[in-house]
Amino acid sequence: MTALLGPSHIAMVAKGVSAIVASRDAALRPSIMRAVGSHISGDGQEVTVYLRRSQSEQLLQDIAHTGEIAVVFSVPSTHQTLQLKAHRATQRPAHDGDLPVLQAYLQSMVQEVGQVGYGPQYVGAMLAAPLQDVVAVTFTPTSAFDQTPGPRAGAQLCTPPTPPVPLP
Amino acid sequence: MSTAAPSLHSIRPCLEGAIPAIMATCDPDGTPNVAYISQVVYVDAVHVALSFQFFNKTRQNIVRNPRASVLVLDPVTAHFYRLHLLYERTEDSGPVFESMRAQLAGIASHAGMAEVFELKGADIYAVERIESVAGEGLPAPAPRSGLLHTLRLCSESIARCSGLDELLQCALQGLQDKLGIQHAMVLMLDASAQQLYTVASCGYATSGVGSEIRLGQGVIGMAARERTPVRISHMTHAALYSHAIRESMDAHATPDAPPLRGLDIPYPGLPEPHSQVAVPLLSAGRLLGVLFAESPEDMRFGFEDEDLLVGIAGQLAAAIDLLQAAPDTPEPLPTPIAAPPVSGSALRVRHFAANDSVFINDDYLIKGVAGAIVWKLLRDHQHTGRVDFTNRELRLDPALRLPDVADNLEARLLLLQRRLQENCPHIHIEKTGRGRFRLCVLRPVVLEEA
Repeated sequence: MTALLGPSHIAMVAKGVSAIVASRDAALRPSIMRAVGSHISGDGQEVTVYLRRSQSEQLLQDIAHTGEIAVVFSVPSTHQTLQLKAHRATQRPAHDGDLPVLQAYLQSMVQEVGQVGYGPQYVGAMLAAPLQDVVAVTFTPTSAFDQTPGPRAGAQLCTPPTPPVPLP
Repeated sequence: MSTAAPSLHSIRPCLEGAIPAIMATCDPDGTPNVAYISQVVYVDAVHVALSFQFFNKTRQNIVRNPRASVLVLDPVTAHFYRLHLLYERTEDSGPVFESMRAQLAGIASHAGMAEVFELKGADIYAVERIESVAGEGLPAPAPRSGLLHTLRLCSESIARCSGLDELLQCALQGLQDKLGIQHAMVLMLDASAQQLYTVASCGYATSGVGSEIRLGQGVIGMAARERTPVRISHMTHAALYSHAIRESMDAHATPDAPPLRGLDIPYPGLPEPHSQVAVPLLSAGRLLGVLFAESPEDMRFGFEDEDLLVGIAGQLAAAIDLLQAAPDTPEPLPTPIAAPPVSGSALRVRHFAANDSVFINDDYLIKGVAGAIVWKLLRDHQHTGRVDFTNRELRLDPALRLPDVADNLEARLLLLQRRLQENCPHIHIEKTGRGRFRLCVLRPVVLEEA
């Protein structure tokens, strides 16, 4: 399987950086919310973002109905930015097993956002996430884009393998 | 939390650019896209402007599918709001565009990314709905109290002023005492020269009275040209808006200008401003000048400071206009008095007709209309010994080439008075009544037409 993400991009997401999730409804109206946590598998094939249901009703509904998801990951201090997209995503309520992921994410964000001048209390309020309100959304990225600000923003990292065309 | 929809006004702290906003769009093929945007700017109660910097996916999407959803975050309470927007149009000139361009230069400089932050357009969106997103957040700070009272105090002291000099001093004093703004200046428009000249300042090592800024140049020139407040929260190296001002400002020097010292009067601004705000002085629809304040601190001026300064600028402009339009010399001239005793070595005063620049002992004093005025006064004084003059005769003197309307004569006389005070204490001008003044020459003067 061709790797969509290189080690540096996987490491960037794995560290726990700003993550914003978007989808859209049947009328192509976009929906959006900040994730309260994220996780990426070691091979970069499986990405999970955590959203608060109470903050993301439309977004979760749109993901459920259309399968479409776009997530932008960004390092606040360097503006290094990556966007992942997929056409299919699954949802499940968060459970106790997700707690370490959420806590590690919060710690990383306290450090990252602290570098641009916001204290732990602020980051804690921004990412407050009572477990019973959290939904895990998992997807396999099918496209990835470098979105670090600048004229080259939007460049696709690499094209996923196309399925073989059946011979006539 | 999502009961009553918040107004755009109520979420203005989120639109200060302290925390980048994030925008979701959707391709007509159904693929969503999410991207950071540098600015979400309050335009009016139902519109925002977003910066358009790159021809990227967001841009492609919005042109083909005009719906957008933008997530903003309150920089104090950590409370999220979602704006549901509909793209209307893009502006690539005008007040909104220029004030965003200035702000963006400041943000870019702060982010160390000046070269990639160029504003191509201000995308204007209708705000269809604002959602308050659920969440705990932090307690909201107590609202800044007493802003209206501050405005009242400034307004009261402005309303008591009966002369231009007093008015400008009072306004700047008000900024210092009541708003804690330590560095400020007032610049007046010279419409024919398309320049602004400093008539009063506070907080600087040198007053800079007489220094000039072209329309469109820097924060001040842009506020004047576009007749819009321009406010920058981070700007040490926003080259377009600060350091460029330090270049030669004499755009109108004639080639045969004297090869003496330059005609530039140093602009008094801070060497490394971090926050600046420039507010146009408008009266009856006419631009009179600019009220400008700056600070060595980042984020010193918020939208409420801007609101307050716009309020003060409105009254200041109206008062300047009224004082300048006051009828000249309603009563007869006072009995001429004997000229004060003259002693000491002679002052050599040279006049260059090409630009009406005047030099005293090789030091540049002033040019333009104010230069022509001082030259006329000194010649009359030398020929006839007179010391008392009226604004009216200056207005009627064709040699001074004062414009028919809005000649800013009072401001030009004030400028001249200040320049003499600072550079040639042996010649000064005293107001002797409304529309009247007296020339005092304390040393012999030798006039030379160059």
